Amino acid sequence: MHEWSLALSVIQTVDKWAREHNVEVRKISLSVPIVSQLDISILREAFDMLKKESRLEKAELEVKVRTPRYRCRACGYMFGHEEVASQIEALVGKYGEEYPLHLVPELLPAFVKCPKCGSHDIEADLSIQVEQIETV
Amino acid sequence: MRPLLERARDNLRDKEVVAVMSGKGGVGKSTVATLLAFLHKDTALIDLDIFGMSIPRLFGVVGRLHEVEKEGIKPFEIGGVKLFSLGGIVGDRYVVLPGANEGGVVEALLAFADLDGVKRVVIDMPPGMGEALLALERVAKFKPVLVSTPSKMSIKVVGHLADYLSERGVKPPLFVLNMAYVECGGVKVYPFGRGEEARQLAERLGSTIVELPIDPDFENYVGKIHEYRGPIYRELQKVRL
Ligand SMILES: [Zn+2]
Repeated sequence: MHEWSLALSVIQTVDKWAREHNVEVRKISLSVPIVSQLDISILREAFDMLKKESRLEKAELEVKVRTPRYRCRACGYMFGHEEVASQIEALVGKYGEEYPLHLVPELLPAFVKCPKCGSHDIEADLSIQVEQIETV
Repeated sequence: MRPLLERARDNLRDKEVVAVMSGKGGVGKSTVATLLAFLHKDTALIDLDIFGMSIPRLFGVVGRLHEVEKEGIKPFEIGGVKLFSLGGIVGDRYVVLPGANEGGVVEALLAFADLDGVKRVVIDMPPGMGEALLALERVAKFKPVLVSTPSKMSIKVVGHLADYLSERGVKPPLFVLNMAYVECGGVKVYPFGRGEEARQLAERLGSTIVELPIDPDFENYVGKIHEYRGPIYRELQKVRL
C-alpha cells in the first residue's frame, strides 16, 4: 500500500507547487532508491488514479530506480548494490509487507552492514526526490 | 524537490506541535511526552526517539509494526491517543544510524503519519541537539517542553538546549523538573536536591515550571501507561499547556 501513500504525497506536493506557480504539469520525473523495493506498476496505477482533478491531470510519471553506490565510512570500501542485495532480500523475507526500507529507505544503515568490515556506518543517497517537472 | 519534506510541513500545518526535549537521556522525557499526550483529546503522540525506543515499551507495543494504507501510516490507537513510533517501523531491534540519515527518517515519519482528525501533536524527541532537532525545525513551528531531573549535570545540558532555542527565537512554555521529590506520609522529600538551578533557568526563560514526583507505583504501569492516572499525571494535569 505504500506506493499509494507515496503517490499521494508526490501529487499533493507537486499540485500545490503548480497552483502557486499557476502552471499545469506535463511530466514528473521521480527518483527512488532501489532499496525501497517499490512496485513501480502499482506506483503508476496509484499516480494515474490520484492525479485526477489536480494540476497533474495530464501528467506523465517517469520513475527512475536509482542504484546508489555505497561507501563505508569505517573502512572506506566502495561497493555496489549487488554486494548487499542478499542482506536486503533477507530483510524483505523477514518483514514481508511491512519491510521498513520500503517506507523509509534512509534507515538502510540500521539494517545493512558493510560487506568488507561489517560496519553499519554506510553512506549513500537514499532519498526520494522529484528530479524534474515539465510544465505547460 | 523533496516531496516528503513538503508533505511533512503540510501534515503538521494548523496543528499544535509540542516537542518534548531534554539535554540528556534518562530524565523521563518519554514518560512526560506520553502523559502530556493524554491531557487533551484528538492528540497524536509521535515517537522520534529512535535510539531510546521507550514509548513502545510504555504502551506495551514492542515489536508491533504499523500498517500502511493509502493515506499513510496507521497509528496504534491506545487510550484515545494515536501513537506513531519509529519502533513501529523497525520493530524490536537496535538502531544505529548515521546522523546524516536521521533527518530523512524524521521527515518520512512526519510526512506519512496519517494525522486525519488530529489537532495536537506531541513529539518525543531524541535527547540532545542533533539532526532530529534540525529536521523538526525544517518541518514545523513547535512549542518545546524541556525536561530535566534536579541533577546539576542534567540542568546544565538542558540549559544549553534552552540557549540554543532562545537564539532561534523559540520560548519553551513549560519546564518539567522530573523526579523532583518523593511524597512520604504527606511530607515531600527531595532526594536529588531542590533543583534551585532549574527554577532559576525556568525563570530566566519565562517558562512555567512543574515539579513531578517519583511514583514508586509507576513501574507497574509500564506496558499500560494509558491506565496510569497517578500523581505524576495529576501534577501535569494542573499545568495549562
Ligand atoms: Zn567497511
